[in-house]
Amino acid sequence: MSVVIRVEGISKEYRYGAINNTRLYRDMQSWWAQVRGKEDPWTEIGKESTFGRKDRFWALKNVNFEVNAGERLAIMGANGAGKSTLLKIMSRITAPTEGRIKIRGRVASLLEVGTGFHPELTGRENIYLNGAILGMKKVEITKKLDEIVAFSELEEFIDTPVKRFSSGMYVRLAFAVAANLDSEILIADEVLAVGDAKFQRKCLGKMHDVSEKQGRTVLFVSHNSEAVLNLCNRGIILDHGVENYIASDIKDVVARYNDMTKDQ
Amino acid sequence: MRDTKMQPEAPWDLIIEPSHNLFELRLKELYQYRELIGLLIRRDFVATYKQTIMGPLWFFIQPIMTSVMFMFVFGNIAKLGTDGIPQPMFYYSGTILWTYFAHGLTQNANTFNANGQLFGKIYFPRMAVPISYWAMEVITLLIQFSLLLVFYFYYLATGFSFHTNWWILVVPLLILQLGALGVGLGIIISSWTTKYRDLKQLLTFGMQFWMYCTPIVYPMSKVPQKWLWVYEINPVAPIIEMFRYSFLGSGSLPLGSWLISLAVSSIILFLGIVIFNRNERTFIDFL
Repeated sequence: MSVVIRVEGISKEYRYGAINNTRLYRDMQSWWAQVRGKEDPWTEIGKESTFGRKDRFWALKNVNFEVNAGERLAIMGANGAGKSTLLKIMSRITAPTEGRIKIRGRVASLLEVGTGFHPELTGRENIYLNGAILGMKKVEITKKLDEIVAFSELEEFIDTPVKRFSSGMYVRLAFAVAANLDSEILIADEVLAVGDAKFQRKCLGKMHDVSEKQGRTVLFVSHNSEAVLNLCNRGIILDHGVENYIASDIKDVVARYNDMTKDQ
Repeated sequence: MRDTKMQPEAPWDLIIEPSHNLFELRLKELYQYRELIGLLIRRDFVATYKQTIMGPLWFFIQPIMTSVMFMFVFGNIAKLGTDGIPQPMFYYSGTILWTYFAHGLTQNANTFNANGQLFGKIYFPRMAVPISYWAMEVITLLIQFSLLLVFYFYYLATGFSFHTNWWILVVPLLILQLGALGVGLGIIISSWTTKYRDLKQLLTFGMQFWMYCTPIVYPMSKVPQKWLWVYEINPVAPIIEMFRYSFLGSGSLPLGSWLISLAVSSIILFLGIVIFNRNERTFIDFL
């Protein structure tokens, strides 16, 4: 089997708390107070000034794993375990502090559906815009337009500005675009939290399909054990930024994850 | 976990690393996303004029209103003069050039704040946004320029003679230069507006101040000797002068200061690209 994603010692460091006072003049006042040895005017009474402090923490620390072509990998972990940070690094939204990720093939990430939609544009226009943001060519989108519209079940509304769409319609259209994109790797983060149960099942089914039939690789982040069991065939658990468990039997992973969360 | 049984495989398509080359433009990637740039331009264009009564007529209404105001205040009340150029042409040309520069600057200064939502969720070459902003401004300028030509031929027909000369050939370069200066400065400022929101307010005032330090509402000939140094350090001034000299045949040829301004504009654009490259990958952590 060929490796399509190799994560090598990925770490990401963030700063604690507020970065600054968000206003330049406030930072200047803080700085001026510091220079004179006075109290920071922008600090809460009784607290120490955070200005210029470099408190940092590791959201991810030395994570290593590989994903083979056609695998459906679940990334599990409690809130704050570093799942989203990992996906953000993989989708090139933020850069890692250390380590490398090597990827083979095109990545489509669905960190949140419907981003890049412009409310004034119609459903059809937004399909093209969103497709282009995801890296599709115009001809590709035209070829898949019918499929996308059919999947979203929005035939009658496709020429209406999306600002008049309900949030459910919005999500359906967005998922339809991303799921029909010819990418080798699909990254999905809690996308199924929105939309009704029927559409959620449809999305899971679609992700299963693209993996089984087209050999695409799926990375799926979720808290939902049932959805993970249905979709994925391998899993990894993150715990406080550290890779805690990795197994090729998804049942083991889910059982372990359930154990972990029960203790807390 | 590292693979020990490495077999020869296809090369990696993408390697994500902590830092990358700051001087790299990654034009190939931008070219792959050219359709996105086109769609972003279209998006801004359509979204601005959808659900307005006048629609694209706003391209002309804005500069015309501003010019009429300038004619009234600076031409007829303050009587600052126009070096013999018909007032409508003088103020209109100044207005559209300044707006082109100022919009390029302020829009790009706000790139990360305005697109944070999008940038935070999805990857595409971030440079597509400044490019689409700039392209939109160029298109706007060209459309507005057509009205200037109408004025030009109208005044020619009524017997006015412009001393248009061969320097008119550098006008496209002037437009590029003015764009580079605006976009470059905007990008440099954008790296601070992500951290400090109040810079945006400061910028509005700053741009107004800058406009009055540039010969937009008055000709260079009206500037007192002791203030001329301001125009020497203002890189926009020679561009405007150059345009008026070549196209309308007024003022004098500011060759020396224009060449300096050309160098300054190039350096600023270059700096802007370097800063953008450094910021685009981590700014999202600061928003």
